Amino acid sequence: MIGYLRAIWEYLKEISGEYAYDRYLTVHAATHPDKRAMTRGEFYRARQDDKYNNPGSRCP
Amino acid sequence: MNNGLRRYGIWVVIALVGALCWGVLALARGETINAGWLLFAALASYAIAYRFYARFIQNRVLGTDDSRATPAERLNNGRDFEPMDRRVLFGHHFAAIAGAGPLVGPVLAAQMGFLPGTIWIIVGVILAGAVQDMTTLFFSMRRDGKSLGQMARDEIGPVGGAAALIAVLSIMVILLAVLALVVVLALAESPWGSFSLAMTVPIALFMGVYMRFLRPGRVLEVSVIGVALLILAIFGGGWIAESSAYAGFWTFTPNQLVFALVVYGFVASVLPVWLLLAPRDYLSTFMKIGTIILLAVGIAITLPPLQMPRFTEFAFNGQGPVFAGALFPFVFITIACGALSGFHSLVASGTTPKLIQKESQVRMIGYGAMLMESFVAVMAIIAATALDPGVYFAMNANPALLGDTAQSAAQAVSGFGFSVDAQTLTQTAQNVGEESIIGRTGGAPTLAVGISQIFSAVIGGTALQAFWYHFAIMFEALFILTTVDAGTRVGRFMIQDLVGNVWQPFARTSWLPGNLIASALIVGGWGYFLYAGVNDPLGGINQLFPLFGIANQLLAAVALTVGTTILIKMGKLRYAWVTGIPLAWDAAVTLTASWQKIFSPDPAIGFFAQRAAAVQSIEAGELNDTLIALKAESIEDAHQILVNTTVDGVLTILFAAMIIIVIADASRVWYGLIWGGKQPEMSEAPWEESHLDAEGKEIEREPVGAR
Repeated sequence: MIGYLRAIWEYLKEISGEYAYDRYLTVHAATHPDKRAMTRGEFYRARQDDKYNNPGSRCP
Repeated sequence: MNNGLRRYGIWVVIALVGALCWGVLALARGETINAGWLLFAALASYAIAYRFYARFIQNRVLGTDDSRATPAERLNNGRDFEPMDRRVLFGHHFAAIAGAGPLVGPVLAAQMGFLPGTIWIIVGVILAGAVQDMTTLFFSMRRDGKSLGQMARDEIGPVGGAAALIAVLSIMVILLAVLALVVVLALAESPWGSFSLAMTVPIALFMGVYMRFLRPGRVLEVSVIGVALLILAIFGGGWIAESSAYAGFWTFTPNQLVFALVVYGFVASVLPVWLLLAPRDYLSTFMKIGTIILLAVGIAITLPPLQMPRFTEFAFNGQGPVFAGALFPFVFITIACGALSGFHSLVASGTTPKLIQKESQVRMIGYGAMLMESFVAVMAIIAATALDPGVYFAMNANPALLGDTAQSAAQAVSGFGFSVDAQTLTQTAQNVGEESIIGRTGGAPTLAVGISQIFSAVIGGTALQAFWYHFAIMFEALFILTTVDAGTRVGRFMIQDLVGNVWQPFARTSWLPGNLIASALIVGGWGYFLYAGVNDPLGGINQLFPLFGIANQLLAAVALTVGTTILIKMGKLRYAWVTGIPLAWDAAVTLTASWQKIFSPDPAIGFFAQRAAAVQSIEAGELNDTLIALKAESIEDAHQILVNTTVDGVLTILFAAMIIIVIADASRVWYGLIWGGKQPEMSEAPWEESHLDAEGKEIEREPVGAR
């Protein structure tokens, strides 16, 4: 039971993007090791701006 | 043989269960039918469609290729392009396509009985809606996540592309107006609802500041706090509604709410997203998914009997009091989202294709998420048809037909051929903590009553029914407002983009004057329709919802046309029927509905028939019989009807013209490809080998952060 709840919590965390920054760091280190990576705050701000500045839409 | 039996035996069982449930739904005699039959008919049909039809589309029609790298893998930048676990992406995609549409449409369509709506929700999703979502997702993915508009321009041509762009913009305006109308109708004269919804603004502001400055990226913890505050706000609303000091302050007329919403929409579009829109988005997503799960559990536990008949006479005579028009085409126009929704093609050609790990996953994400959306619509139709039909009609019929008191409403309902006593109507209103439930159109309040009856049967009994009712209202209003915020913003960008082609500075989204003007234009657009809808003498939902449905189906026609064109270009002419048949059906439905809305001589249906009656009344200086029959009350009403029907009628003509242009332009391309010997020009990104396995893990070297 606890195991299931933990799995659901992890899924929700994944879905709400909490691990996105860690993955970004991995990608960044692999592709542009010479450049400075964004801080956590910068990353989420940039991500949010991306999301809402691109008029992809949603269903009513 | 034995192997075949093991492989397909389970599917034979599922098919038999499905056939049995459908048989009971269609033929069983007796007083009422249990919702369980409907639930299992839906689930069995989905399972078979997903296993066989979706797989056929995946393997034969699209020919997905898992050795081909997806844009997420090739262009991985850890931000917008990133291979995402398919289960997580499924959640994202579902959250983006699930909105208020699949909840409202089926409720309105229930006036024709439970069967027409149910059949279209299930058959429509399998053969049309999920096919559209899956193919659009696949084609966009093969083109590095291009939008539907870009694909229309590249694959069909500039004319089709421009028509698609104008279609999207005008649909956006109608959509926002209709959704805002649903909120206004649900909150008018309800201090409880107004208070709890107003509280979502400070809650969202708090969450925004928290995520921006205190703990960036910790979405989950702040959402938990937000949801807790939200539930507190619902309880607070109950207290406000009972207090003599504050109840009056929080009671708004429809026109006051229109004003508040327009101001709110403008401010939300101008403010930075992190402050209001983004946190509200998280809040409504979690509320939405939570409520859908609760509803599924509630229905499974209570298994309510469906009290609405299989068909009502309104399915055939087109005289329904909720919206006018016969089963064909209006059931298909009204249900929209749960069966086939053009809006999904915007999502499926936006964010999602940039995150897919493996090509074959378009089946789970495109087709699967749409099946889930359809299941939400099935639950909505269960909640609406499990209500006493008398209560249903007393809530949803055009308020002008019902009068103001419980007695007059009960009498009107018996005129529709159903019976309910005034006592039941008053009691139902009291149970959900409202003054009155009469003429609360828009679908949301009906669904909320249905949900509150199901939930309170599981938890809390009648004591909690008022809470559950306002919980449901709040959850619908919350995500409608999120759509209003986001849609206004999207519309603003589109206008800035369009005008930017002519005058450069306008295109910069950070330029404040451009931002203000474009926001004002888009808010003014939907605000106008909202105001007209709220004050429409003939009932706003009755007039505007068909327009919204036609617009949405028009967008689906664009997506299916693009899909068919690409299939032909891929050399899959013999499978072009997969998108071609839904396209033909969709075009037939949409054009018939537009035709009737434009040319029908029946003033209950045709905009121009209504307009003629209004003109005649104005010239004569008094209402003529037609308008009196439609329940217009004064000569001012006639003036209003004149303006509204002109605008609505012209828009309908515009939508119909757009469908014809897109399909005609595409037919030219098809003709050239099939008979004209033209070489297909495809804009697919070139093949590149994938280095990820089916689970998204690395096969070889390539350190690029796949997990």
